[in-house]
Amino acid sequence: MSIIREHTQATLSDAWRTIDIDALEEDSPVNFDTATLHQPQTEVSEADVRQLTAQVRQLLRGGDAEGALRGCLEAPVYEGPKGSGSSEGGGARDAALQTVIEVLQSIKASDMTPMLQRVYASPGGSECLDVLMKYLYKGMAATSSSSSSSGGSAPRTPTRMTPQQTGFSQMGPRPGAPSSESTGAAMSVLLSWHEKVVEVAGLGCIGRVMTDWRRV
Amino acid sequence: MAAPEVHHLFHNPIADHSFSADHKTLAIARDTTVELYSKVGNAFKLKDELKGHDKTVTSIDIAPNSGRIVSCSQDRNALVWEPTPQGYKPTLVLLRINRAATFVRWSPSETKFAVGSGDRLIAVCYFEEENDWWVSKHLKKPIRSTVTTLAWHPNSVLLAAGSTDAHARVFSSFIKGVDARPEPTAWGERLPFNTVCGEYMNNSAGWVHSVAFSPSGDALAYAAHDSSITVVYPSAPEQPPKAVISINTQLLPFMSLIWNGEAEIIAAGYDCEAFRFAGGIDGWQLSGTVEVKGRPGLGDQREESALNMFRQMDLKGKTKDDTQLKTVHQNTITMIRPYETSGDSVRTFTSTGVDGRIVIWTA
Repeated sequence: MSIIREHTQATLSDAWRTIDIDALEEDSPVNFDTATLHQPQTEVSEADVRQLTAQVRQLLRGGDAEGALRGCLEAPVYEGPKGSGSSEGGGARDAALQTVIEVLQSIKASDMTPMLQRVYASPGGSECLDVLMKYLYKGMAATSSSSSSSGGSAPRTPTRMTPQQTGFSQMGPRPGAPSSESTGAAMSVLLSWHEKVVEVAGLGCIGRVMTDWRRV
Repeated sequence: MAAPEVHHLFHNPIADHSFSADHKTLAIARDTTVELYSKVGNAFKLKDELKGHDKTVTSIDIAPNSGRIVSCSQDRNALVWEPTPQGYKPTLVLLRINRAATFVRWSPSETKFAVGSGDRLIAVCYFEEENDWWVSKHLKKPIRSTVTTLAWHPNSVLLAAGSTDAHARVFSSFIKGVDARPEPTAWGERLPFNTVCGEYMNNSAGWVHSVAFSPSGDALAYAAHDSSITVVYPSAPEQPPKAVISINTQLLPFMSLIWNGEAEIIAAGYDCEAFRFAGGIDGWQLSGTVEVKGRPGLGDQREESALNMFRQMDLKGKTKDDTQLKTVHQNTITMIRPYETSGDSVRTFTSTGVDGRIVIWTA
């Protein structure tokens, strides 16, 4: 082993490539609060959500599905300022999602498009449909990840990613046939709504769900 | 309306393009070189290649009066190409950045240019006579992420910048000895370097792809990745703006926008065609597309003969050839620029994109 060889092996190691240079730089993105990158968010208490849910249910019982839908979408429950996690805001947000899914399931397929068009044409309608799209994606994530537990209503905690729970859920073993049937039904409702929302609000709506920091 | 003039230069993306004031020279940023084209007959012919960067050239601008070309690249450098009888002579600019340079534009006075970078700053560059060198001052303060786009106010002091931190900002880039003291505007009265005159963000917070001042400089428009364009009307210095109008569209995001007078904005992007927005301080709305679809002589409307149908079925397994988009551009439009103007309004504008085409449109 020549000296030159040893020398190059010691100095040409690629360990320097793994140095996190952003951590060493004072004003790098890892060293500031990402709250400056989006509009300020307020926390909504669980009691408020329960009150809203009650109002929405009442509208739904009275046959005013459009009013119920609008009610949920105009007062969305966003993730709190503390960021992600299931801490305090998690329960309220899951309850809001359940309410939205209830409303969506109660609306007939033939009523979807006219209702969405009316909402879109009204002032602030574009934002309402953005919120609806957020709920659809969240609902899809919830139903697919909770398919191994008991239906969609269980309070969801962010579980560790395991191959069985992500990706193709059909590939993995299905533990409870009845529960997966109900999640399948919920999913088909969400998928048909997704199609209708894209028809009315366009692809821009999907883009906005992705750029927006205000997660439902 | 005249049909658009389409030139397919090559099968590579065009990062940026710029015409000289006499429209005789077209500069194109292609890979690591700047290509200069001139019009011969009805086509653009490659005339010169400016090689000086060793990474992708991200942006390019020709100063209309002096004819100087400035280019910037991911190699963290900007070069000023001075026209001489022997060809273009490059001068390196001291940008002092350690991330890619993303965007460059001459100020209307042509004594300065601004370079946006991934280093979360804007380098405002000016020529220092005593050192015979282009030097830069950094606009740094509230920028939290890569600067993607820049636009100059007509007074050459105010500079608008869009960034991936979802903000559009208006800065003062006043440099003593280079700029005359500007007239007070709605954006600000006293404007020392790095004064932040405005900072705007949409609710749905997408990356800002393009910014532009209106011809008077009294309004700012920006396009963001949430498929929106936003128009800001400032009221007075340090005061909240008179109006901030945001239009969320059903379309894909816009990459570039220009003003056509004070009452129209033309924007183009991922939908591969340009759209018009009309309005004013009371509101804006999408008013239509620039491109007229289904006009005769589009080229891809072939004769519907039985022979043709069976040939298509044999070759492709289907009767309709649907591999072509219905738009002139076959991929994302990344840059639109005014071409011929009369006063404040744009008579024709040019667009380039990922498909290697340059198209001259009637606005």
